[in-house]
Amino acid sequence: MVQDTRLIELKGISKSFDDTQVLHSIDLYIRKCEFITLLGPSGCGKTTLLRIIGGFETPDEGQVLFEGADMANVPPYRRRINTVFQKYALFSHLNVFDNIAFGLNLKTPEALGVKTRRQKREEIARRVGRMLKLVKMEGYEKRSIDQLSGGQQQRIAIARALVNEPEVLLLDEPLGALDLKLRKEMQVELKAMQQQLGITFIYVTHDQEEALTMSDTVVVLNGGRIQQIGEPKRIYDEPKNAFVADFIGESNILSGIMREDCLVEMLGVEFQCVDEGFAKDEPVDVVVRPEDVMIVGEDVGMLTGTVESVIFKGVHYEMMVNTGAMRWKVHSTTMQPAGSRVGMSIVPFNIHIMRKEA
Amino acid sequence: MKRSWYAAPYAVWMALFTIVPLLLVCYYAFTTRSGAFTTENLTRIFDYAPVLFDSLRLALYCTALCLLIGYPAAYFMASRDMSRSQSLAVLILLPMWMNFLLRTYAMMTLFENNGVLNTLFEALGLPRQQMIGTEGAVLVGMVYNFLPFMVLPIYTVLKKLDPRVIEAAEDLGANPVRVVTRVVLPMSVPGIVSGITMVFMPAVTTFAISRLMSSGMIYLMGDMIEEFYITMNNRNVGSAMSLVMMVLILISIGFLRKADPEGQGGGLW
Amino acid sequence: MVRKSRGAVKAFKWTYLALVLAFLYVPIAVMIALSFNASVSRAEWTGFTFDWYAKLFESDAILAALEVTIEVALAATAVSTVLGTLGAIGMHAMKKGWASLLLNLSYLPMTTPDIVTGVSLMLMFIFMKIPLGKGTMLMAHIAFDTPYVLFAVMPRLKQMNPNLYEAALDLGCHPLKALYKVILPEILPGVVTGALLAFTMSLDDFVISYFTSSTDQNLSMVVYSAARRGVEPTMYALSTLMFLVILALLLIVNRRSSLEKM
Repeated sequence: MVQDTRLIELKGISKSFDDTQVLHSIDLYIRKCEFITLLGPSGCGKTTLLRIIGGFETPDEGQVLFEGADMANVPPYRRRINTVFQKYALFSHLNVFDNIAFGLNLKTPEALGVKTRRQKREEIARRVGRMLKLVKMEGYEKRSIDQLSGGQQQRIAIARALVNEPEVLLLDEPLGALDLKLRKEMQVELKAMQQQLGITFIYVTHDQEEALTMSDTVVVLNGGRIQQIGEPKRIYDEPKNAFVADFIGESNILSGIMREDCLVEMLGVEFQCVDEGFAKDEPVDVVVRPEDVMIVGEDVGMLTGTVESVIFKGVHYEMMVNTGAMRWKVHSTTMQPAGSRVGMSIVPFNIHIMRKEA
Repeated sequence: MKRSWYAAPYAVWMALFTIVPLLLVCYYAFTTRSGAFTTENLTRIFDYAPVLFDSLRLALYCTALCLLIGYPAAYFMASRDMSRSQSLAVLILLPMWMNFLLRTYAMMTLFENNGVLNTLFEALGLPRQQMIGTEGAVLVGMVYNFLPFMVLPIYTVLKKLDPRVIEAAEDLGANPVRVVTRVVLPMSVPGIVSGITMVFMPAVTTFAISRLMSSGMIYLMGDMIEEFYITMNNRNVGSAMSLVMMVLILISIGFLRKADPEGQGGGLW
Repeated sequence: MVRKSRGAVKAFKWTYLALVLAFLYVPIAVMIALSFNASVSRAEWTGFTFDWYAKLFESDAILAALEVTIEVALAATAVSTVLGTLGAIGMHAMKKGWASLLLNLSYLPMTTPDIVTGVSLMLMFIFMKIPLGKGTMLMAHIAFDTPYVLFAVMPRLKQMNPNLYEAALDLGCHPLKALYKVILPEILPGVVTGALLAFTMSLDDFVISYFTSSTDQNLSMVVYSAARRGVEPTMYALSTLMFLVILALLLIVNRRSSLEKM
């Protein structure tokens, strides 16, 4: 379970590479045993942020605190953090066992709780064996890295990091190179491992579904700035701005004007909503998820339009409905044939109002 | 310590052993024996204008011959129906790494007055030829040494050429001659440029080839530099000549770079 | 027309290439043959002999030159392999601007004509009042060998997963230890190829050695001075041996680098 203690704190982290600023004053804290995901499109700064936590990059400004202590002068090899790298970065000149044992071999026997070198060897073998079991790769000790499939290499990379018993595991798009089915399986396994071991995972991905499935907390990044931090469900249901709404899931985004509390006008029609605290007649962005648009009879709909296209998506149908002023994306389990006139209605709870971006 | 510092000893060594010596060449070129500034060393080179001219002329002939012989060789080596061309390519390219002096020495054996070729001529009832000492012999020695340097870059470029490009040209109605003139040749320009550089440069600066193949009768820029440095012990004029030669080469490389701005012709590899 | 003459075209290609090969190798073959000829004359074959090879090993001058050649080649290879490998690793970690500056510096000795490299180094040694001998020859050899090592190692570094080094640090490796535990094994094939190439180039060199050493001669210099006096069968024997050694080294290097490309 996620604990309340703040394990890592980032304070005002900024970083530039050759004149381009990739991180703008990032503030973030990470709690003990949290599965936190840095999510964003490529180039949003998520990997750089991860590398700063790992100690592979130094921030231009700001501090990284680990249990309250500044990490500025602690090199990567002295941090109680381990990383699963993009494309795994396994040592191809070593076999599976030696890859996993790499970190342990560097430790003194005392650090492993034993006295002699011989005991150390045995201890290492025991721990590597345990790890191989955890990642379901028993019996692969003597294999060379080139003989493994992508998914197996992935598991070894995870074992190699976890065997050192880090307090925090950093994962940089670890599932990026795997196919869809394997990715889904690994998502479940990773989450289970994290809960079993009770350590903090900081996960980087551009895949919003992956982020929502696995995380306790999602941090949405764009253009080097944090857009929103929150639990997956909150981020999905209450995106803070148009970028988050668009990046997380599919959505209809349109402009509206707040007429008064809980009343927004869009496309010339006034809708009930649940948001308050906007100025009168303030222009806003309105987000409606495709699955929240209900198809109703043409005569009872708040909006009416013509179905332009229908695509079967497995569980639901995706329809594009043209209301004249806008084309709506609608998900529904019942199909309306293309060309038919339909009505649409949206319940107040499903209309998300966001302040316009400056 | 940052990893980039590992390059520090290399950088220092290279600066000390390439830049400093070249600067010294410039320094010597513009000073007298006693160290005073002068341009006389450079003007003295004009006394040797014919030598300079001969060197350029022979280097040009050599480059042209290498291109003429080397281009078809590279083209054939790279063509698709030469399935075993990989080892053939290795054989043709290997000599470029082999000691040029030894190879020139081998060539000299063939061309000598009492050499193998003359023995052969005699056996065939032909008159003996005085070959060593002629421009022809020097030229053969140069082409023999530098031919692989022309073949390699052209071969590299042609080998990388997508065979589908040629098929596309054929598909569009180009006959074999047109395929070569309209597609293959234009696309191999970077290789040709690189080959010309790699042949012209050593050809214009050679000294041992001319010395051995002409028994010292033909005198080129390289021989002159050697003589000024080693025999006459006049390093100032020798340096001036080296400098002029470097400038000549840089100018020609500059010209050639224009034809191959991306440097696709590849280097030595 | 195309189909029918395909066989003829192929035959023509083979013939042409065979002629080029003959041009390149017949002189060498003839020289090798003559090194076994009992007669001093090139004009007649009077029987097979190993005499010239035996004479080779009786000549103090040649044995001394052999010693110089091997000493210089081994020492130059050792130093340039270390310098070049470290240089490549450093350049790989460097910012682009500096790296390309250093890369251009590395191309310089490869594009400078040998004779200019030779005389410029000679000038420097004279300027620094270092007597021209084995030591100066060695320094010059290191200077032209090192870029070969650098260029043999660089591609391996570029192929390497950039996270490997960081992974080692991440697992608790000290940076220096990571260098030999992770990076060196990764790039080792390139280092070995580079070292072999450096050794070959050093054995092979004539022009730069000629200008940078006067008291000590290497084998190429011996051949040159003998060739200027005229042709001598012992020199054929010496050249033959050198050819074979260099050829063998080159074939090994070539095999290694073509295996790596696969």
